[in-house]
Amino acid sequence: MTIQFNRLLPVKGTIGLAFMLALASCTAGDGTGLDAGGRPVPPGPPANNDFQQIQDTILTPSCSGCHQGANAPQGLRLDAGNSYALLVNVASAEVPGLMRVNPGNPDTSYLVQKIQGNAAVGVRMPANGPPYLSQVQIDLVRGWIAAGAPQSAAPADQLVVASSIPATSEQANAGLGKLTIIFNGDVDSSLANTNAFALRDANDRLVNADVRVPVGRPNVVEITVPQPLAAGSYQLSVHGDGPAPLADQSGHVLDGDADGKPGGDMLIPFDVKPIANEGAVR
Amino acid sequence: MMRLNILRLAGVLALALAFAGAAQAEPYLAAQMGLKCVQCHVNPTGGGMRTVFGNTFAQTQLAAKRIGGEEDMWTGQVMKFLSVGGNARANYNYTDVPNQDSANDFAVEEARAYLDFGVIPNRLSVYIDQRFAPGNSTNLEANIRYWITENSIYVKAGRMYLPFGYRFEDDNAFVRQLSGINMQAPDEGVEFGFETGSWSTQFALSNGTAGAPEVDEGKQITARTEYAGSAWRVGVSAVSNDTDAGDRFGAGLFGAFRLGPVTLLGEVDYFDDDSIGIEGRKLMASLVEADWKVLQGHNLKLTYEWLEPDDDVDEDEQTRTSVLYEWSPIQFIQLRGGVRFYDGIPQNDLQNRTQAFVQLHGFF
Repeated sequence: MTIQFNRLLPVKGTIGLAFMLALASCTAGDGTGLDAGGRPVPPGPPANNDFQQIQDTILTPSCSGCHQGANAPQGLRLDAGNSYALLVNVASAEVPGLMRVNPGNPDTSYLVQKIQGNAAVGVRMPANGPPYLSQVQIDLVRGWIAAGAPQSAAPADQLVVASSIPATSEQANAGLGKLTIIFNGDVDSSLANTNAFALRDANDRLVNADVRVPVGRPNVVEITVPQPLAAGSYQLSVHGDGPAPLADQSGHVLDGDADGKPGGDMLIPFDVKPIANEGAVR
Repeated sequence: MMRLNILRLAGVLALALAFAGAAQAEPYLAAQMGLKCVQCHVNPTGGGMRTVFGNTFAQTQLAAKRIGGEEDMWTGQVMKFLSVGGNARANYNYTDVPNQDSANDFAVEEARAYLDFGVIPNRLSVYIDQRFAPGNSTNLEANIRYWITENSIYVKAGRMYLPFGYRFEDDNAFVRQLSGINMQAPDEGVEFGFETGSWSTQFALSNGTAGAPEVDEGKQITARTEYAGSAWRVGVSAVSNDTDAGDRFGAGLFGAFRLGPVTLLGEVDYFDDDSIGIEGRKLMASLVEADWKVLQGHNLKLTYEWLEPDDDVDEDEQTRTSVLYEWSPIQFIQLRGGVRFYDGIPQNDLQNRTQAFVQLHGFF
């Protein structure tokens, strides 16, 4: 059989073929100058350890006494597992127009205003002061924010769940409409979907939910349900197994079963309390 | 009786061919046959339940051979006002990620059923697309479709897949991941469609939340238009989403043409997304696909995809190359198998994984 190319390749076909060849000519990058997440390696010295110092010397001893657990004021938990994810690029509950920590700008960070005592709403923190934080401590916080509020000095070489709200086996308050899962590294947002996260009720029925990595908080995954969860028992599964397991931006697959190796599912059972007067005799 | 049925079948085919209308969830088939989506799918933008013509095509043109008598011709219409359909895909998957143990599993990739209540034939329908696996039952489409003028202008309201680019079967294609518009992420809103001659055009206004609850005042506008000739086609699409997290704008160009037994498809999409990171990102993705109809019922599919995750960053691009073979031995059954090679930056193991699969696909 003779193929008559003159008939097969009219002008439109030639244009189309050129278009296809152009699309097929694009290649993968060689990764020069990038970290494992495909982001440029920042110039200058590596990130500092200031946040760890802030956690150890300020947040844990002075703040987390009140700011922890399901009843943390304004939902702000400042224990080591939760604090970073609930501070950086998170809108303040008291003044939603301000971020609690606005990286690069300490003056417009609500955390700084609260510890300096110039916030528009509420009392100066710590609420049980004086004594309040020393100027050295405040400057440490301001300096960390001015440097971009880095999380840690070295990226993790393994992805694990650092914390969750509600926590494992927690009795969450009625009206829970959002779950927050905090990881030790930045999550690959393309994998953060209902394939990797499954919320089931006590009857093992899948609860419809939206899964997303919030803007500016790449180590956090928020799971939002259309209606507040009814009272009862639930379990959230975060999958490190299967064809599309959750991984960080460096390709480290979730170590869900905490065996020190990638893979396995992280299970987070929790309960939602009934409304206070639910079931009361009227 | 047999002669009557053959005549009926020929009549159905002729009638369906007379209505030049829209595309397929396998758009290469539409390009190969010079058809529009609406000819084979009740959804004018393609995918989901098949029309009488689509079901007839699956039995007489797609399969290597048809078994059963003429009286067993499935049309999807189980009664006058009700049509049903479905898709099920059972996979064996193998994944190899560098520096990790390989993984393999059997999995139900999808099992979904379609119902179309044609309460006013050819004019008013209530359509439901329900996924039963994996996971628990999930509604993917539930909408009311009203043809204001028969076969030319319609309005659709409810939960639906939005019109953007080609509606590929593979939701993991870079172009479908980049746009976020695929058959895993319906949205809720209203769509207007126009089917005139070789043109198909749609406009949609939706929440822009990919089916999640609306969280802000902004809405998403999506538009798509395509010229589908007998041997070639070309189209453009655009989307604009106004959200509190940042504005998102995207545009795409897509097209296809036939070269003997080979059908070539291409799509390139560009997005300017302010909702990513602090400064926003500009992203691009492309796909080029060649489908070679080796014999009736046999298709060799080669695809090459490219993803630019941030136009401001050099050397971060990713590619995906796929080689697939699709064999349809008899009607409504497809055996598919293939390998997908990911190529990305060497620092990221997942971007350099290899996946292989064998899939038994049943549909009707």
